[in-house]
Amino acid sequence: MSENFYSPYSQRSTLGGCGCGKHESLAAHDAAAERERLSRGLDAETLSRDFVEAAAVRALFPNDVTRRRFLTAVGASTAMAAIASVLPLQQMQAMAEEKGPLEKTDVKIGFIPINCATPLIMADPMGFYKQQGLSPTLKKTAGWALVRDQMLNGELDASHFLAPMPLAISMGLGSAAQPMRVATIQNINGQAITLALKHKGNRDPRNWKGFKFAIPFEYSMHNFLLRYYLAEHGIDPDRDVQLRVTPPAEMIANLRAGNIDGFFGPEPFNQRAVYDGIAFIHVLSKDIWDGHPCCAFGVSEAFVAQNPNTFAALYRAILNAAAAANDPANLPAIAAAISTPNYLNQPEIVIRQALTGRYADGLGNVQNVPDRAGFDPMPWYSMATWMLTQMRRWGYVKDDVNFDALAEQIFLMTDARKHMAALGQKEAVAEPASGYKSFSVMGRPFDPAQPKAYLDGFAIKRS
Amino acid sequence: MPNEVLRRSAPFLKIEGLSKRYRDDLPPVFENINFRIDRGEFVCIIGHSGCGKSTILNVVAGLEEATSGVAVIDNKEITGPGLDRGVVFQNHSLLPWLTVEQNIAFAVRSRHPDWSRQKVAEHGARFLEMVGLKGASRKKPSELSGGMKQRVGIARAFAIEPQMLLMDEPFGALDALTRGVIQDELLKICAATRQTVFMITHDVDEAILLADKIMLMSNGPHARLAEIVVNTLPRERNRETIHHDPQFYRIRNHLVDFLVRRSKLIQAAGPATGEEAPVIATPGVESGAGGDAGPRAGRVKIVARGAGSPC
Amino acid sequence: MTKSLRLRGAVLSLAILAVFLLTWQIATTPAKTTAPSGADREYAELMGNSATGAALANGVPTPAQFASLAWKQLSDPFYDRGPNDKGIGVQLAYSLGRVALGYAIAALIAIPLGFFIGMSPLLYAALDPYIQLLKPISPLAWMPIALYTIKDSATSAIFVIFICSVWPMLINTAFGVAGVRKDWLNVARTLEVGPLRKAFLVILPAAAPTIITGMRISMGIAWLVIVAAEMLIGGTGIGYFVWNQWNNLSLGNVIFAVLMIGVIGMLLDSLFANLQKKVTYAE
Repeated sequence: MSENFYSPYSQRSTLGGCGCGKHESLAAHDAAAERERLSRGLDAETLSRDFVEAAAVRALFPNDVTRRRFLTAVGASTAMAAIASVLPLQQMQAMAEEKGPLEKTDVKIGFIPINCATPLIMADPMGFYKQQGLSPTLKKTAGWALVRDQMLNGELDASHFLAPMPLAISMGLGSAAQPMRVATIQNINGQAITLALKHKGNRDPRNWKGFKFAIPFEYSMHNFLLRYYLAEHGIDPDRDVQLRVTPPAEMIANLRAGNIDGFFGPEPFNQRAVYDGIAFIHVLSKDIWDGHPCCAFGVSEAFVAQNPNTFAALYRAILNAAAAANDPANLPAIAAAISTPNYLNQPEIVIRQALTGRYADGLGNVQNVPDRAGFDPMPWYSMATWMLTQMRRWGYVKDDVNFDALAEQIFLMTDARKHMAALGQKEAVAEPASGYKSFSVMGRPFDPAQPKAYLDGFAIKRS
Repeated sequence: MPNEVLRRSAPFLKIEGLSKRYRDDLPPVFENINFRIDRGEFVCIIGHSGCGKSTILNVVAGLEEATSGVAVIDNKEITGPGLDRGVVFQNHSLLPWLTVEQNIAFAVRSRHPDWSRQKVAEHGARFLEMVGLKGASRKKPSELSGGMKQRVGIARAFAIEPQMLLMDEPFGALDALTRGVIQDELLKICAATRQTVFMITHDVDEAILLADKIMLMSNGPHARLAEIVVNTLPRERNRETIHHDPQFYRIRNHLVDFLVRRSKLIQAAGPATGEEAPVIATPGVESGAGGDAGPRAGRVKIVARGAGSPC
Repeated sequence: MTKSLRLRGAVLSLAILAVFLLTWQIATTPAKTTAPSGADREYAELMGNSATGAALANGVPTPAQFASLAWKQLSDPFYDRGPNDKGIGVQLAYSLGRVALGYAIAALIAIPLGFFIGMSPLLYAALDPYIQLLKPISPLAWMPIALYTIKDSATSAIFVIFICSVWPMLINTAFGVAGVRKDWLNVARTLEVGPLRKAFLVILPAAAPTIITGMRISMGIAWLVIVAAEMLIGGTGIGYFVWNQWNNLSLGNVIFAVLMIGVIGMLLDSLFANLQKKVTYAE
C-alpha cells in the first residue's frame, strides 16, 4: 500500500486514526508518507509517465530477455531515443494524465444499500470525490430495475451495478439497449448462500430438489453463481428448484415466513439473516469462485463521451476508495461509516462481520475468513466473458455473440490500468497484460480463449 | 275607447296554431291552440294532467319549443326565455345554497347588472316585504316552510318586474290554509300592480278567485283549448266571501262539469279538424259575451275567432 | 344522555387501547435466556444478543421500545444528515409537496374538463370510453411508462399522483354538472344569465358537493399512492422512509411511519370533510 500516495489520508476522512495501521495518528502517517515520497523523488505524474513508458517498452519487447539484450547492445539512452522516435511517448503520457477541466461536478451516483457499494460510498466521507473536484449526490436507489431505468433515462450519471447488468443493458436484454461501460469492479467475493435454519441437517445440494431460492436480480452474479453451484451438484436451476427475484429485505422476510428455503444474497443480508436468528451461512461465494466479481461501477457510453474529464475524475476517486477499502485495517472504520442511515442503514456489527470475515455462521461457530470480501477494482475482460458464457448457458442470450468483442467494449480495463498507473497503484500492471485472466470456478478451469469449449463442457444448460 | 281598439288589434300575448308532438310515432299532446291575453289580464288554464298545459306555459316562457305554431309577445315572436317574462315554478326552484335575499338579488342583478349592491338589496327587500317575508331574508330556503319558499319564488319573479308573470301550479304543493293566505297576497299584489298573469292550476276555486278568464283544455292526446270561461264575478273578490255569491257556484259547476264530463267527450269526438274555435262561455249570464256583465265587461274582453284567422 | 354516551365511548376506546397494548407487550416480551459464557461469548455478541439477553421476537418492538423510538423521531423531525437520511417531518413534507403538486395539476385539468363534459352530452359521449378505459388502471402501472418518457423519477411520482387523482375529480365534476337540477338552469335561463355567470353562480355551487366528494376521493387515493410510488422511486418522502426502514428490517420504524401516514391521511380527509360541509346545501 505504501506505493499509493493517494491513499485515503484526507483531513475530511471520517475514518480517524491512520489508514495503514502502522502509525499512531493521521498526521504521523502523512508525515511518514511524505518522507518516503520525497526520498524517491516520485509523484503521481512521474509515476504515471513511467508507467506509460514502461508499458510502451513492454509492448515493443514482450519478451524480457529480448529487451535486456537490446538495452545492453545499444545502451539505455540510445534505446530511449530510438523508442521515442517510433512511439509518440509524450502524447501518450499526456493522454494518460488527462486532467482537463471537469465538464460537470455535481454528478448523481446511484447505489443500492449493500456492502458491495463500499468504494463508491466511502469515496464520499473519505473525501476522494472532493479531492478530484467533484461534489456528487449519492442516491440510495430502491432496486436494481430502478438503477437500470434511471441510468437509461439519464437521471443518474453513474451507478453501482450488478456486474452483469452493463452487459445486459448494452445488449438490450430486459430493457431498451443502451451502451454502458464498466469503469471498475466494485467488489470481489463477499456473497453467500444462506439457508433457513430448518435445513441445518441438509447441507448436500443434491437433496435440494423442490427448494425455493431468492436472488436479487436476473442479471446478477448471485443468479449465475447459484445456478452454477446447483448445476455442479446435478440440480437443474430451472427445473428442480425455483429461483425468485426478490429485494434483499424481502429475502429475509420470506425466509422467516418459510416461503423460501434460502437465498443467494448480497451482504449484509446473509449476515443479517444469521443475526436475526433465522438462517445459517451455507457457503461463502468465495468458496465457489475465489475472486469472483460482484458489483461494478459504471456509466453510460454517452456520459464518457460527453464528460471525459469528469469520468476520469470519478475513476480516480473510485480507485482511491477501492484501494482504501482493500486495506483490512480500514474495514472496522468503514463498517462504522457505511452502516449509518444515510448509507446502508444496518446494524454496524452485521456489516463488520461481513466485511472483516470474522463472523457468526448461524450454526454456533465463529468463523474467521479474512478474504470473505475484497475490493479489487480491476475489470478483467475474462470476468465479462465468463458472465456472457453463463448468460448464453441459461438462455438469457439466445444467439452466439462475440464474447471478447463485447467484453473489451464494455469493460474498460485499459482505462482502469491507465488511471491506476496515474495514481501510482501497482495493480496497474497486474498480469496478464491481455486482460484475459484465467480462473477456476468450483475447480473447473475457465480458459477465456475457449469460451465455446467451456460452455460445451456443462452437462446442465439451456442452449 | 281608443285603448280598447288598440288592444283588440294588438294583443299582448298571442298564441296561434300551437301544437306539440314529443315523438313522431305518437299523436300530438295538443294541437291547434289559439288564444290571446291582453295587458293586465289574469288568465288561468285548467285541464287534466297530460293535456299539455305546462308545455304551453313553457313555450310562452321560452323554455320549450312547440312543434308548430307561434307564440308572439308584444309583437315579437318568442324564441327563448327572457326577462320580460317572470316565471314562478311549481316547486319554487330557489337556489338552495343562497339565502332568501341572495336568491332575489341574483334575479335583480340579472335584470339590472349595473345596479350597485345596495340598490339591488333595497329593491329585493321591497319585494320580500311585499310577500311578507322581510324577517326571513337571511335564511336558506331549506329553513323555510313550503309556503314561504313559494312566496320567495313569487317575490323573485315580481322583483324583475316582468311584463308578464307565468305561474305553473304555484300552489299545488301547499296545504289548503297556506294556499289561501298566498292566494290573498297574490290577489292583492296583482290588483296593485295590474300585473299580466298566465297561470296553470288544478284548483277550480283558485281559478275563480284569481282569474279574469279561465281557459279549459280537453284531455290529451289531441288536447285542445275547448272553452274560455269569462269570470263574471266582480273583480274585487275576497276569499272569505266569494262563495256567498250565487254566481260563484254557477261558474264553479260549469268548470267542474267540464272537467268531469265534457273534457272526455271532446277527446272522444276525435282529433281537431283545425276549424274548431273555443266556446266562449259566461256561465250564469244568459246573453253571453257583451251582455250585462257590468263594470268588468270593459276589462274582460273575449276574443273568439276561428283558428288561422288573421288578427 | 349523549354526554354519558360519549363518556362511555371514550372509556371503551381506552379499554380497547389498553387491551391492545397489553397483548402487544405480552407478544413481544423476549423469553429469558441465560447469559452466555466463555467461548460462546463472542458468538453471542456477533449475533447481537449480548446487550438484551435475547434477540427481539420477530423484530417487533415492545410498546415501550416503540414509544421511545417514536419519541426520538418526533423530537427531531426535521434533521438532515445527507441525501438519504432525513427526519420524518422532512420526509412527510416531501410527500405532501408531491401530492399537492400532482393533485393541484389534476384539479386544474379535471375540474374545467369535467365541467365541459358535464355540460355537453356530445363531449360526454365522445370521452366516456377513454375515461372508462383509463380510470381502472392502477396508478403504479403508469410508473414504468412515466419513468421512460419523463426521464425523471421525481416528476414521474408527481405524474402518478396526477393520473390517479384526475379520474375521481373528472368523473364527479362531470356527473355533478350533468346532474344540476333542470329547474335551476331554467331559473338562470329565464333570468337571461350569461354563460360565465351561470357557470360560476349556478352550476358550480350546485355541483360543488359532488365535485368536493370527487376531490376528497382523489386526495385519499393520492395519499395512498404516494407511499407506494415513493417506495418505488426512492430518494425522499415517507414512502422512501418506509422502504429504507424495511430494508433495515426495522419494523418499529415501519410501524411508526405507517402510523404517521394514517394520521396525515386522516387530517387530509377531515380537511375535505370540512370543505364538503361548507359547500353542501339542504334542499
